[in-house]
Amino acid sequence: MINLQDIRDTARDMLAKGEVRAVIGYRRGSRGMLAEPAFITDPAQADELVWDPTCFHNLSLYLVEDRKFLAHLRKTANAPIAIVAKGCDARSIVVLMQEHYFKREDVYIIGVSCEGSGVVDERKLAPRLNGIQATNAAFDGDDFVFTTAEGEKRIPACEVMADRCLECRNPFPKEHNLAFGEDKTGRKLAEPFAALTRFEAQGAGQRWDSWSRHFDRCIRCFACRSVCPMCYCDECVVDSITFPVTAETTADEKANRIKWIERSATRSENITYLMTRAMHLAGRCTDCGECERACPVNVPIRMLNNKMEREAREKFGFEPGASIGGPSLVATFLDTDPGDFIR
Amino acid sequence: MTKKRTGVFVCHCGTNIAATVDVAKVAKEMAGEDTVAFTQEYVYMCSEPGQESVVQAIKDNKLDSVVVTCCSPNLHEKTFRDNAKRAGINNFTCEIANIREQCSWVHNDKAKGTEKAIKISRSVVRRVNRNQPLDSIAVNVTRRAMVIGGGIAGIQAALDIANAGVEVVLVEKQATLGGRMLQLSETFPTLDCSQCVLSPKMVEVNRHPNIKLHTYSDVQELAGSVGNFRVKINKRPTFVDPDKCKICDHCTVVCPVVVPNEYELNLTARRAIYIPYAQAIPASFTLDEEACLGLNPIVCGKCKDVCEPDAINYDMRPETVTEDVGAIVVATGFDLYDQANMPELGGGQIEDVLDGLQFERLCSASGATKGHVLRPSDHTEPKNVVFIQCVGSRDPAKHCAYCSKICCMYTAKHAQLYKHHVPDGRAYVFYIDIRSGGKGYEEFVQRTMEDDDTLYLRGRVSKLYRHNGKVRVMGTDTLTGQNVEIDADMVVLALAMVPSKGTAEIAKTLKVGRDNDGFMAEAHPKLKPVESVTGGIFLAGAAQAPKDIPETVAQAGAAAAKVIALLSQTTLNRPPLIAKVRRSHCTGCGMCVEACPFIAIRLEGGKAVVNEALCEGCGSCSATCLRAAIDVKNVTQLQIHEMIEACLA
Repeated sequence: MINLQDIRDTARDMLAKGEVRAVIGYRRGSRGMLAEPAFITDPAQADELVWDPTCFHNLSLYLVEDRKFLAHLRKTANAPIAIVAKGCDARSIVVLMQEHYFKREDVYIIGVSCEGSGVVDERKLAPRLNGIQATNAAFDGDDFVFTTAEGEKRIPACEVMADRCLECRNPFPKEHNLAFGEDKTGRKLAEPFAALTRFEAQGAGQRWDSWSRHFDRCIRCFACRSVCPMCYCDECVVDSITFPVTAETTADEKANRIKWIERSATRSENITYLMTRAMHLAGRCTDCGECERACPVNVPIRMLNNKMEREAREKFGFEPGASIGGPSLVATFLDTDPGDFIR
Repeated sequence: MTKKRTGVFVCHCGTNIAATVDVAKVAKEMAGEDTVAFTQEYVYMCSEPGQESVVQAIKDNKLDSVVVTCCSPNLHEKTFRDNAKRAGINNFTCEIANIREQCSWVHNDKAKGTEKAIKISRSVVRRVNRNQPLDSIAVNVTRRAMVIGGGIAGIQAALDIANAGVEVVLVEKQATLGGRMLQLSETFPTLDCSQCVLSPKMVEVNRHPNIKLHTYSDVQELAGSVGNFRVKINKRPTFVDPDKCKICDHCTVVCPVVVPNEYELNLTARRAIYIPYAQAIPASFTLDEEACLGLNPIVCGKCKDVCEPDAINYDMRPETVTEDVGAIVVATGFDLYDQANMPELGGGQIEDVLDGLQFERLCSASGATKGHVLRPSDHTEPKNVVFIQCVGSRDPAKHCAYCSKICCMYTAKHAQLYKHHVPDGRAYVFYIDIRSGGKGYEEFVQRTMEDDDTLYLRGRVSKLYRHNGKVRVMGTDTLTGQNVEIDADMVVLALAMVPSKGTAEIAKTLKVGRDNDGFMAEAHPKLKPVESVTGGIFLAGAAQAPKDIPETVAQAGAAAAKVIALLSQTTLNRPPLIAKVRRSHCTGCGMCVEACPFIAIRLEGGKAVVNEALCEGCGSCSATCLRAAIDVKNVTQLQIHEMIEACLA
């Protein structure tokens, strides 16, 4: 079990010594027990940090934001930034480093083990709490324990856990500077890609029907893109409206922008957007599940990314975010690559 | 941007296009395009009057861009781009729409063919609308050549290039020059001694002031492109200084390690320190690192002790040599198909079943038996010898689909040589049919049949097995319809020719394509038979396809002529259709750097930078970039996008 005080002490210590310029972690949020991202720069605030089953955010997004902010200010970092990272988050950080977004020495990874469990899915938890206000959540073996006005409520973790945590294979951050908790890799709650396999067992007609409903529902609010640490491009290829015009932008470039999709949120445009996004995440998505969590209309976005991830694993033996120096999926060609899908 | 004035020129190509495509309709449709200012159709656009009309139309109608809808750009792109230049406009604003190979030739339905031709033409008109005028990139040419492979093909190519006054680097994998030809006894159709005709050329290579020789070496890495290649060569250590070695043979006498001799096709053995054969070039012994007890004076060191000129040096290490050359000839030769693939013929496990090269060594005066045909099992003279042709060749179901071309001839030669050595012996040849096209070839085969009394049996052999100290051959004679059983003293298999071991690796290193059978692919089967698909890399000999010595020598000469022509220029014009980075979009993720097969992109200050001299414009970077930050000039993503739109409309 992780002793929360250890994380707080580490953060306070590093900030006090000036070893890091900030600690990105979790603190108790304004919505009852649910945690929210915290950006701690003052050692005195370190005690605000929490670690519990409601810490579902992938904080590596803020490393990207930090980078963009520094670039905007035309400043360089004077010290690394520390970040609390779960297994999936740490893999995101590795992908970002693979893509030269920042260097290893720019980040201090405080790894946290998911305690052989995972984080909650709000949508699964809400009906179980049945409107009762909870103030605290904690890991306890195979259960989550919630403190409510009506006393302690104990729920088996796998009943309210996020789907991706059920299917998670690496609930421990391999890449870290300092790690808390035990590496409980190997625990098995559900088969990897279980939901995808179940879905694919249906006929093509049924699959198309359900995806048609999902695509129709999408309002293209771009919450999935905003919350994704991999969607860091200044200009998104599907979004020529936000084409950045800088001093370097030539008239030729302005003329030569491609309008990939129409602005209206119709099925065909939504398909183009979501499919393009899935393709652009192939070999990069580490299944942190933030896109699906952020979606206000419950589009199962994760399944698209899962499909790409499984293809990459089965065809090319590729694991996203496995190592910093490793090859990238789409830029690597080997003679041994399967070619049976080329007809 | 002012509106383009594009001219569209629709070619009938006789009836090649006009039979399946309504050319008048294509021209009429194109005239309706916003940017098209002029259209014309003509029966042969590539004819002199056709070309003149294009030039005239450009001048008369003040056209600034041209689309010619005709055959493949591989054929006439240059013709029409030159015309555009002649008419005073930039040649890179001229594009070809291929409505022959990609349309009329592959369709029958005229209505649908016309519809497709219109879509193809329209997509190219839209592409040309965004073409930029570009200038060719001039690069200096390195006036040196490299030849990879020191067999007859490589030797001939190297000599021809060197005699033209161009410096040549010859790289050979083995310890000596000579290759396969050196292992042959006598050559068809004149039966002259193979070594005797080859060794003068080897001596000439060794002495030639323009030839630099790297033996026992492998090509490791290739960078650059036509005119300017940089090749890294790994020179393996021979542990013997060729300048000091006097070939006194004292070392082999004391060497305690005995291993099979690959030069003699394992018919004999050699020591760990050895010289492949007496006339080896360079004339020096080689210490086989893998066979040697350990390159350590404490373990053995006997050879070093007896070496009077102190030529042996255990401390030699592999050495990497970098050579800059402008052109490369690949002459990596062939191997024989592995007998292990033929379990019905013993899979290489039956004694006295030999392959063609082993039989060559048995007949060779310098071979294991000093030119006496003796069978390996008991060293007696074989009185019945069965030769089997097409072993592994012409068998698309199980083995190689192609004809290995030389086996008919060398089997006839083997039968003759055998009869000359053993006049009272009996020679049988199993064949499918005899392919003896070539000067003096048919007469040679007839002599084998008539003068040397060889029994030709038309049919295949189904099985070989050891029986009473002989090899039982179960075959069939399809002319009489009878099964044939022969108890042979020796059987010789004319195995298929396959690309030499390592061809796949070297093709990958050089980025040269291979065909379905694994041979190096020529750029065009008829018009570019010695060019590889990569500019500046040429092919010679059996690396490209099975062929005999005269053909190999002719191809090597042709490759040499191409190299000399290429290197006679001081600068080369490279097409400017290369990648260009939009710095404002680039995030410096480095995926294009990984994807580039030509090592032409590097990261500089967090942005991708393209080396113009190395970029081949393949577009791998553009396809990989998630941010559309890198494009190939005149084939931009926007252009491709608009072309697709035009096709789908």
